[in-house]
Amino acid sequence: MASPRDLRPTPTDGYSTATSFMQQDTEETLLAHLPQSLASGGVIASQNVPAVLQRNVHMQYLLRNLRQGFPQRYTGQDASQAWLMHWTFQAFSCLGVGMDGETKRKAREKILAMQHESGGFGGGPSQAPHLLATYAAVSALAVVGEPGPGGGWDEIDRQKMYEFFMSVKQSDGSFLVSHHGEVDVRGLYCLLAVATLLNLLTPELLQGVPEFIASCQTYEGGFGNASFPDWAFSTDGYDPAAPRPVLGEAHGGYTFCALASWVFLQPYLRIYYKSKPPSTADAPAAIDRIPPTINMRSLIRWLTHMQGTGIELGGFKGRTNKLVDGCYSWWVGGCFPLVDGLLGPGASAATHETETATKAEHAQASAEDNDWLDIDDALFNREALQEYVLFAGQHPAGGLRDKPPKHPDSYHTLYCLAGLSAAQHRVGPDHSRREALLQSWDADAARQKAVASGPPDSQERLDSLRRESFLDALCWLEDEGADKYVGGSANRVNATQPLFNLTITHTELMMKHFYQQNLPSRVPKAAATRP
Amino acid sequence: MSAEFEDVLLYAERPEWADVTPLPQYQGVDALAPINYSAEYQDATDYFRGIVKAGEKSPRVLALTWNIINMNPAHYSAWQYRYKTLLAMGADLEAELRLMDDFAVTNMKTYQVWHHRRLLLTALRSPAAAAAELAFTARVLAGDAKNYHTWSYRQWLLVHFNDDDEGGLWAGERAWVEELLEKDVRNNSAWHHRFLVVWASGVRRGDEDREAVGRTESAFAKDKIALAPNNPSAWNYLRGVLEHTKTPFATLTSFVELYIVSDAAEAPEVVDLDNPAPTEGAQLPCVHALEFLADVYEQEGGEQVAKAVEIWKSLANEHDTMRKKYWEYRIRDGLQGARA
Repeated sequence: MASPRDLRPTPTDGYSTATSFMQQDTEETLLAHLPQSLASGGVIASQNVPAVLQRNVHMQYLLRNLRQGFPQRYTGQDASQAWLMHWTFQAFSCLGVGMDGETKRKAREKILAMQHESGGFGGGPSQAPHLLATYAAVSALAVVGEPGPGGGWDEIDRQKMYEFFMSVKQSDGSFLVSHHGEVDVRGLYCLLAVATLLNLLTPELLQGVPEFIASCQTYEGGFGNASFPDWAFSTDGYDPAAPRPVLGEAHGGYTFCALASWVFLQPYLRIYYKSKPPSTADAPAAIDRIPPTINMRSLIRWLTHMQGTGIELGGFKGRTNKLVDGCYSWWVGGCFPLVDGLLGPGASAATHETETATKAEHAQASAEDNDWLDIDDALFNREALQEYVLFAGQHPAGGLRDKPPKHPDSYHTLYCLAGLSAAQHRVGPDHSRREALLQSWDADAARQKAVASGPPDSQERLDSLRRESFLDALCWLEDEGADKYVGGSANRVNATQPLFNLTITHTELMMKHFYQQNLPSRVPKAAATRP
Repeated sequence: MSAEFEDVLLYAERPEWADVTPLPQYQGVDALAPINYSAEYQDATDYFRGIVKAGEKSPRVLALTWNIINMNPAHYSAWQYRYKTLLAMGADLEAELRLMDDFAVTNMKTYQVWHHRRLLLTALRSPAAAAAELAFTARVLAGDAKNYHTWSYRQWLLVHFNDDDEGGLWAGERAWVEELLEKDVRNNSAWHHRFLVVWASGVRRGDEDREAVGRTESAFAKDKIALAPNNPSAWNYLRGVLEHTKTPFATLTSFVELYIVSDAAEAPEVVDLDNPAPTEGAQLPCVHALEFLADVYEQEGGEQVAKAVEIWKSLANEHDTMRKKYWEYRIRDGLQGARA
């Protein structure tokens, strides 16, 4: 049973300002999109509430862009062509739409044309290499590519890509997004996602990165776009006591990028920050530094407070006192599985493990009567976020959007759908999956597929970094007993691997290839414990 | 597109560009998802690709890249090449800034617009130019008070030039941000800026007594809370100050208690400057105050945690139901902490 919505307007305390005026306007607009049955605090009744994901019109919208191309107003996205591919293909993946071989071949050809001769991908053909475009291109290739000649994957010049990555690395652990470009945590996230997918991780690439990420957390708990390095990193060397001020306030997009980066960095933190004396002659001492930390408490507080109230239909905003926007369904909504992953199983619910079997039973019941018993231990309101996407995010003519009455676009179409996915499914690291992957791990195969990197490091430790990164990234499974579908399972979109914003299957296939591993078959998380 | 470029010939039709071989964009045969460019854009970018391939850096490259970024301000390759050309030519970078002024205002949501200025300021090494930039960003923010790029850029100007002399770049900053908060006390960007100026970037001239600064800032936040209690920005700043200065939340218990009553009229009549009371229009109880008080009890630990749990329950079930899951998490976490 759905709880009645509290639809009180955000209090203005009799003191209106520009922010509260805009907030009021938005609340009025959103309230008009709330179905009557919810407005009156009634039960969700699918027969009279249009809580329907309009799959077909969204698919037609995406297909139209793909076949007929983008109208002239998309000229502003000429440097984001790799992104247009990623947004479109991953939106298809969410909707469970497969592509025919010819479309995939054309897509590979188009994406590979954006690869730069000096390494990495540009936003379009002959455009300068850029970290964001590189992530977008590689992600798109994860969906439309495959191993072998013409498959797109082996055409990626990983050695040159690694050299491009190193060429934009800065002494404070940050990266320029392109030569002469800006520094921010988006670029860093894109680099880490790609380096993890393609087996490019090395200690020289990651040197200083955890400290940089940690320095971008603001007093609010979320992360800003970059920190200022020059006081801590001068010609005199590194001064760990010097301030590294955050430039820009806590923001949903940057927070996702910083948090996902932080998760990617866990193996490096575990392996390279151990301060213990060398055990053998060929294993040099781990870097004797205090591992940086992030404030999880304030982060969780900030993330949960980004969810709008009932009158905002439970959508997410990107900053304190800003308006809800469909894209933060993913940028903030996608942070919750990452937080759960960092806290470890059972952290957000003491009884998590013992409840698994019960959950599976309830899930079976929910399939019948389209309802659920509330044993959900997520940190945010999963039903409300789904309602925002379904009631406010969908444009009637196809495609998804920021909020009504805005037009849809490719970007919002993906991030609304990915956010819907994050609200429908529980995806998290699974201990037994990790064990199974470890059992079949082949260190030599992974080492042979890695790129040549700079200064020599302990081979043993580098092998560990590669193995741990592989296991950490691929042990995420969907807890199939914990899914929830507002409007019924007809609204189901595919589960999303939160680190990459790809499906779990696409992530597996690509990493299997670039680490040259045999993957044990996957057993659904909850099904394993079902009677 | 600016008037300068109206009714001009395509580059392909201009004799002075005849020596450049245009390079069409290769997207594969029968490309998927093409953007339907205008003829002008396609022509200009064809010539741009040709120029980049030839490695030419000349005044006409500046004209070409200016034309392209006017049609697509997010064309980062054109910006990048323009910057390299400016440096190679030893061009007048102040003039480049002035050329970009109106452009920045029109395209303030674009990363490249602000990054370009940052590159120029870095190369200029001029505090006077930086001071002019502070004035410029203030004008832009007057029109769009929460523009993320503009704020980041302003913050970079301050810390990069770090001019703390009397009348230097930092000097007017706190007064200016106070003006912005006078206009809109809910402008979170301004609150973040204040935190950067006061706490996150070293110690400003005159701010050496950190305890006094802590008291001033705490009082500032309390006054702003009194004005509009349901303003998360002010509460977040207050929390930030307390955490940064390692001050227990309990020092503010008597202040916070004024905001958890269900009616402003219940507040005491006595004027207490340390604990400003909510204004008449305040809608109480204030969720942020309830949360704060629960944190006080949790920090005190022991028997007090039960009081925190009561507040979290009331938030979960009554005052802040959207965050029910979070408040339930806080209850579990708080009880676990109390047992440990």
